[in-house]
Amino acid sequence: MIEPLILLKAVTKDYNGKVRALDQVSLEVYPGEWAAVMGASGSGKTTLLNMIAALDRPTSGSVRVDGEDLLFLTEEDRARFRREKVGLIFQQFYLIPYLTAVENVMLAQYFHSMADAREAAEALRRVGLGERMGHYPSELSGGEQQRVCMARALINQPKIILADEPTGNLDAENEKTVMEIFHDLHRRGHTLLFVTHDPQIGTQADKIVKLEHGRVLPAFPVKALRSI
Amino acid sequence: MLGRLLIKSLWREKARTALIVLSVATASTLVSAFLNIAFTVTEEMAGELRSFGANIVVVPKSEPLEIVIGGLRFVSPGESAYLEEADLPRLKAIFWRHNIAAFAPFLSRVVEVEGEQALLVGTWFDKDIRIPEGKRFFTFASGAQREAASETETFRTGLKSLSRWWQVEGEWPREDEDGALIGSGLARRLKVGIGGRIRIALEKRSAVLPVRGIARTGGVEEEQIFVHLKLAQDLFGLPGKAEKIQVSALVTPDNALAARASRVDPAKLPLEEYETWYCTPYLGSVIYQIEEAIPNAKGKAIRQVSEAEGAFLARMRLTFILVIAVAILAASLAVMATMVTAIFERRQEIGLMKALGANAKHLGLFFLLEAALTGIGGGIVGYFGGLALVPLLSVRTFSLGGFGLSLSLQAAILPITLLVAVSVALLGSFFPVKEAMRFEPVKTLRGI
Ligand SMILES: Nc1ncnc2c1ncn2[C@@H]1O[C@H](COP(=O)(O)OP(=O)(O)OP(=O)(O)O)[C@@H](O)[C@H]1O
Ligand SMILES: [Mg+2]
Repeated sequence: MIEPLILLKAVTKDYNGKVRALDQVSLEVYPGEWAAVMGASGSGKTTLLNMIAALDRPTSGSVRVDGEDLLFLTEEDRARFRREKVGLIFQQFYLIPYLTAVENVMLAQYFHSMADAREAAEALRRVGLGERMGHYPSELSGGEQQRVCMARALINQPKIILADEPTGNLDAENEKTVMEIFHDLHRRGHTLLFVTHDPQIGTQADKIVKLEHGRVLPAFPVKALRSI
Repeated sequence: MLGRLLIKSLWREKARTALIVLSVATASTLVSAFLNIAFTVTEEMAGELRSFGANIVVVPKSEPLEIVIGGLRFVSPGESAYLEEADLPRLKAIFWRHNIAAFAPFLSRVVEVEGEQALLVGTWFDKDIRIPEGKRFFTFASGAQREAASETETFRTGLKSLSRWWQVEGEWPREDEDGALIGSGLARRLKVGIGGRIRIALEKRSAVLPVRGIARTGGVEEEQIFVHLKLAQDLFGLPGKAEKIQVSALVTPDNALAARASRVDPAKLPLEEYETWYCTPYLGSVIYQIEEAIPNAKGKAIRQVSEAEGAFLARMRLTFILVIAVAILAASLAVMATMVTAIFERRQEIGLMKALGANAKHLGLFFLLEAALTGIGGGIVGYFGGLALVPLLSVRTFSLGGFGLSLSLQAAILPITLLVAVSVALLGSFFPVKEAMRFEPVKTLRGI
């Protein structure tokens, strides 16, 4: 029997004891699966991603990723987990302002193992930024910054890719490029979990996790949605 | 990557970097200035001691009976024993002859000068002597033979070379004509100046001498009169005699062997140790060789730097150390204040690095290296700042004058200053950086 790569059991997250961002969320994502997380603004999508990325801890429940119980990891182990197992694409594209595009990608390499300018440049070329490597974040458009973040998330070949609205800021053409990359990653066996508002994009996934007020709605088959 | 990260992040925050560099530079300026002064003073003093000040006094084995009344020494005549002036050149014929830098004989009596009582001291001012041919080869019980350094045939020495720090107004009296050098205190009391004449009387003998120079020494010599030895011998009726010899010898610091030799009779040391001891210029072995060379002589070690001078130095050092400690503390606090805001402003960057998998080691290395780099910058600025400060400090406050530290010591100051500077920067950064390690990435990332 195959173990789920990502396994959440009854995860609840309260902020300040008032706001319940996640409410008894249980979730399974198997190796190689592509899951789309959908839901209204404020429904807890980013919070869910943060739990899986070991960036945040649940108030109750358990989070198991690739055989590691994230609740019981030390800070040092959580850092190791982040740099070795997951690639993160943030909703707001965080880049170091005083580093160029290629240097931002290299930073992830440096924390992981060793910076390699050639490899970093190649990753930027793949997301269509071959001409923009030496530019600083302030000299890039929102969509370009988003793609730098993507190149950075993929540079260390992580097992799990977590993306928060990766196509939110892209025009149709760039969206196509990015989706092709995701399909390619999916084909090569990476496990994908990404947040989207767009049903067009959500339906390209193997399964959809629908969140509403921090709760997972009963799963419904993607095929049914596709046929609408 | 780390290098690029460091340089770019420092460059981006030029103003802040400059502020930290400046804070560190203030403290290291003081450190550099202090080290310069302290090293120079120590070096100068050591140099003076070694080359000019007497560190050995030689007296007759059976000393003359003397009584000190009100700072004046009265010597009972008659059975006192004396050293022979003629034996003095033998000092330059001992094994460590080369290390005998200067010496002068002394013969003194309380005399009457213009109705006042004062000590008249006969000595060599600056005398040419002929050195007797000394033993070239020294044979030891083990059969080993050691050759002593060869020496020139003549040697010029006396009070002038022994007391370089004396300030003499006018000129030193000559060896071949009668004249007096009188202490500044006595000159004031007698109201005589250079070119004046003083009448000296002892019992039935008397002499009238021209004053050639007035000496300021900072010691009891300021109440004394100095004349050439022959004149004193004639006046006292002690031809060819001296009561003591002051010797300036270059010696190496004592070690365990020297300490052992000073406890037991050196002749009772094991043969080999004796030979090593004899052939090393310890204060003890030089004294031992002097006693061998001069009949009826006993050598004693003396300290020429007055206690007061030493105390002043110690006090100065303490003041400096306090000032530096306060400066280091203040600079560290200034660095800390700057770093606290810096870290706060950069919390998002830190959160991002953590989200990308940076651990405490990555972040600590990054921020502490950044601090160390600014520290080195501040240290270099401070090192030169200190050099610029030294002349101001030394002239205005310490009136030490005559600066110019030897290069080897100068070279030692830079690393020490840098070390202090880097420590200040690290000390000031330690707690803010430690705090930064605790930032929760989610919170800092959300907080835009
Ligand atoms: N640090 C926090 N303190 C208090 N409440 C928070 C905090 N972070 C998130 N929340 C709340 O938790 C809920 C879920 O937030 P989350 O960011 O997961 O939503 P989301 O689904 O990603 O929304 P969007 O699509 O707008 O990005 C929201 O109501 C939000 O206000
Ligand atoms: Mg969100």
